[in-house]
Amino acid sequence: MDIIKQLLGRLHPLIVHLPVGFIVMGLLFQWYDHKKQQYRQPITIIYLWATVSAVLACITGYLQYTSEGYAFDSIKMHLWTGIITTLISFFMYLRLQEKNKLDGIRRIPIRVFGIAMLILISLTGHLGGSITHGEDYLVEPLPNSVKSALGLEIFEEKIIALNDENWESALFYEDVINPILNNKCISCHNRKKEKGELVLNTKEGILKGGENGEIIVDNNSGESTLFTRLILPRDDEDHMPPKEKTQLTKEEVTLIKTWVDHGTPFEASIGGLKLPKELFEDYFPKKADFNVPDKTVEVAAIDSVNLVKKAGLHVEKISKESNYLRVSCVNKPDFSDKDFALLQPIYKQIAILDLGGTLITDHIFGLLGTLPHITVLKLDNTTLTGSEIEKLTKLEYLRSLNLTSTKFDEANLNKLEAIPNLEKVFLYNTNVRINSVQNNSHSDIHIDLGNYELPVIASDSIIY
Amino acid sequence: MDYLERLIKEKLAREAQAKTRRHFIKECATGLGGLALSSIFMGCDPLGRPKKKTELAFSERDLNPLATLSPPHNPKVKSVIYLHMAGSPSQLEMFDYKPTLQKLNNQDCPASLLEGKKFAFIKGVPKLLGPQAEFEQVGESGNWVSDFLPHFKKVVDEVSFLKAVHTDQFNHGPAQLFMHTGSPRLGRPSIGAWSTYGLGSENQNLPGFVVLTSGGNTPDAGKSVWGSGFLPSVYQGVQCRSQGDPVLYIEDPDGISRDLKKSTIEAINKINKEEYLKYADPEILARINQYEMAYRMQIAVPEVMNINNEPENIRQMYGVDPGKESFANNCLLARKLVEEGVRFVQLFDWGWDSHGTDHTTAVDLGLRNKCREIDRPIAALILDLKQRGLLDETLIVWGGEFGRTPMQENRGNKEMGFKGRDHHGDAFTMWMAGGGLKKGASHGKTDDIGFSGIEGQVSVHDVHATIMHLLGFDHEQFTFEFQGRHYRLTDVEGEVIKEILA
Repeated sequence: MDIIKQLLGRLHPLIVHLPVGFIVMGLLFQWYDHKKQQYRQPITIIYLWATVSAVLACITGYLQYTSEGYAFDSIKMHLWTGIITTLISFFMYLRLQEKNKLDGIRRIPIRVFGIAMLILISLTGHLGGSITHGEDYLVEPLPNSVKSALGLEIFEEKIIALNDENWESALFYEDVINPILNNKCISCHNRKKEKGELVLNTKEGILKGGENGEIIVDNNSGESTLFTRLILPRDDEDHMPPKEKTQLTKEEVTLIKTWVDHGTPFEASIGGLKLPKELFEDYFPKKADFNVPDKTVEVAAIDSVNLVKKAGLHVEKISKESNYLRVSCVNKPDFSDKDFALLQPIYKQIAILDLGGTLITDHIFGLLGTLPHITVLKLDNTTLTGSEIEKLTKLEYLRSLNLTSTKFDEANLNKLEAIPNLEKVFLYNTNVRINSVQNNSHSDIHIDLGNYELPVIASDSIIY
Repeated sequence: MDYLERLIKEKLAREAQAKTRRHFIKECATGLGGLALSSIFMGCDPLGRPKKKTELAFSERDLNPLATLSPPHNPKVKSVIYLHMAGSPSQLEMFDYKPTLQKLNNQDCPASLLEGKKFAFIKGVPKLLGPQAEFEQVGESGNWVSDFLPHFKKVVDEVSFLKAVHTDQFNHGPAQLFMHTGSPRLGRPSIGAWSTYGLGSENQNLPGFVVLTSGGNTPDAGKSVWGSGFLPSVYQGVQCRSQGDPVLYIEDPDGISRDLKKSTIEAINKINKEEYLKYADPEILARINQYEMAYRMQIAVPEVMNINNEPENIRQMYGVDPGKESFANNCLLARKLVEEGVRFVQLFDWGWDSHGTDHTTAVDLGLRNKCREIDRPIAALILDLKQRGLLDETLIVWGGEFGRTPMQENRGNKEMGFKGRDHHGDAFTMWMAGGGLKKGASHGKTDDIGFSGIEGQVSVHDVHATIMHLLGFDHEQFTFEFQGRHYRLTDVEGEVIKEILA
């Protein structure tokens, strides 16, 4: 029986269109016929049909309300207006009948019924639509500016911004969990829509749970649907958010899990809960890229770039989001100190420079010192000794220096320390010996001398 | 001639007279239908309007299809070396240590594990097979490595493991295609083709995408695993041989001097240039460029492909076998190629299909030999790239097309003489090393017997998304329009595996 009720109930959204259609048809006919009064009889029949179908719509509507678990408050306006529409339609039918014996109705002009009907049908239809599609279904596509002008509530994404200083004092719920729920869940689970009778933007709503009961059980994420629904396969009907909506990131899912497992604290700070920093690092400001300076630069003049290209050098922007350039001599092994002039017009934009395997001499260091934004400098397979390498000390972005297979002199090793942000130096296949590096090991620079070995071991020659 | 023309005119007149209204209507039916159909083929635009070109449209590209382009985002690496163990190595003898499986050795596999699973050869109820190797936690990261890979233990802290990769293919061909093109069926471009299409190649004298094979055979899926699919064919991998001429027919034929060759190409290009002036088709310029590049390659390729000019200590570190086709040689070549600015180097090593049908495919015998063949070269490759400062800008990817079962293979439902494992795609190990990665990381876990992933499962698409990310692409935005829709390497899936990123 319940199944039949539910089934009939689900026919409501279909059947309602019959009375709507009949009533609109009746009204249009009456308007067309208001002078000649030729079609009174068919119009009467139209209102009979309208009444019968409206009664059907009311019954199926009621069944849908009882079997689909709508709250009475959310549908009561629609229910009453629907019933009144049905009644008015019936009175209209009676009023139009020739042999009408009800004097009371006869005294009311038809026009009054018509106007009441028009208002009621629009109102009932709108209320019904709001129940199925949501209150803001119609205005949702409007831009935020128009919405706020109309005094409508606008959805605002909450940004989670943590950094090295504030992350421990930030509140776990207020500054992290609430914004996640706000950005990914409350477009449906808010007080107005209450999908699944669940509200996720208030503490009370979260603790109360939804139509299937509490969403947080025993502070155990494995049993709490607030978390388990998130990790269902995306095709699962119960997966949240629904697959066509923006999904939570892996990090956000982990944070929800952590929050549930820690007993859904609403007031505690991240530091107070002793949570590991890694959980939140996604919200920290992005670390600057190793090979791109963390400041902007204007785009290089296209003619200058083309000139460098024409000379046989490889020049390309590091990426489309950066104006810094990567320049390489891979196709121009005969590059020498005097060719450096080519690079002068783009001196500001060069970040990665590869002069490996070219004819440069130690004189080049003075010239390289004029490229303020160099991050990665490759000078391998050349005859450099590093005698003028102190000229690189002004390069505050230089992080990696490759001098493998050069004649680099270990006497110049200590000059490297003056380069402020240098992190890595590659000195494989040079005259530098291991102990001289160890003597200089008080600096932060990682010097890689290479010469790695894989000694022969017995198993190398065993054939099984 | 006059006579012939008169005849033709007469024929046409006769035809015109014979044509009735009925003929006309009949032709309309097929003719108009054909017109409609052709417009459908034109990309579902009924008016056949030229489509807006949203892809890479650069004038430099018109001249040279391998001209470099900037990636959309700051890249972490500029080159990729992909080491593929064709046949699929057993993760249970190399990286995925399962002591419980050892305890359950020779017991019947629980039926619940076999339900609904497809295996290539396993029939009935197989027995579990414990790991055939000794495992040890090594390096600062403490990741597990077996005694099949003693040299690899030295570089384990440079590597980021993916312990629970899964694929939905269980046969070599489709699984290899899936691993390299993102689809188990033919027709999609390989990762290397996507990379060279998107980024071009820096070295003008070398191909942007080089493929080297070893192990006595090429992958089951054939050359499509390095093919260009629907991308222009110039982006497909160039297979180089480590034995004989590196590229077939790269040497000038006997009696043709280099000068003669040069003037030949110059003459051809002169004609092509005239053709270009007439038709202004950029394809002709591309062809001119290809001729010139091929000419330069004749010098550059044999030079870079020669491992004899490497110092002795380097050759020993890799364990090279000059003049032969070997994985060690290919690893050394891979370093040389990347050093020269080649974008994508792909190494296929054949012979990892450890079914246990004979000595060479037994997990305790043949697999050990295969591991020895790659162990030293891979460790050497990582160390050599590191000491040259190249590891920061190179990505190394290692893996097979799937993994192997914790059960012993029982081909034909019979006990087999050698210990082997069947194909298994639900959980297997891959690793990456190089720029932009968290060194020594290990992401994902498998259950106690290594049958399924239980944590940090990643798909083949996720691996692709991560490779693309490191090269500076958003895998969801990097597309190519073909047959009316935008295709991407990861199709409609894939998530960057952030857990292994630095």
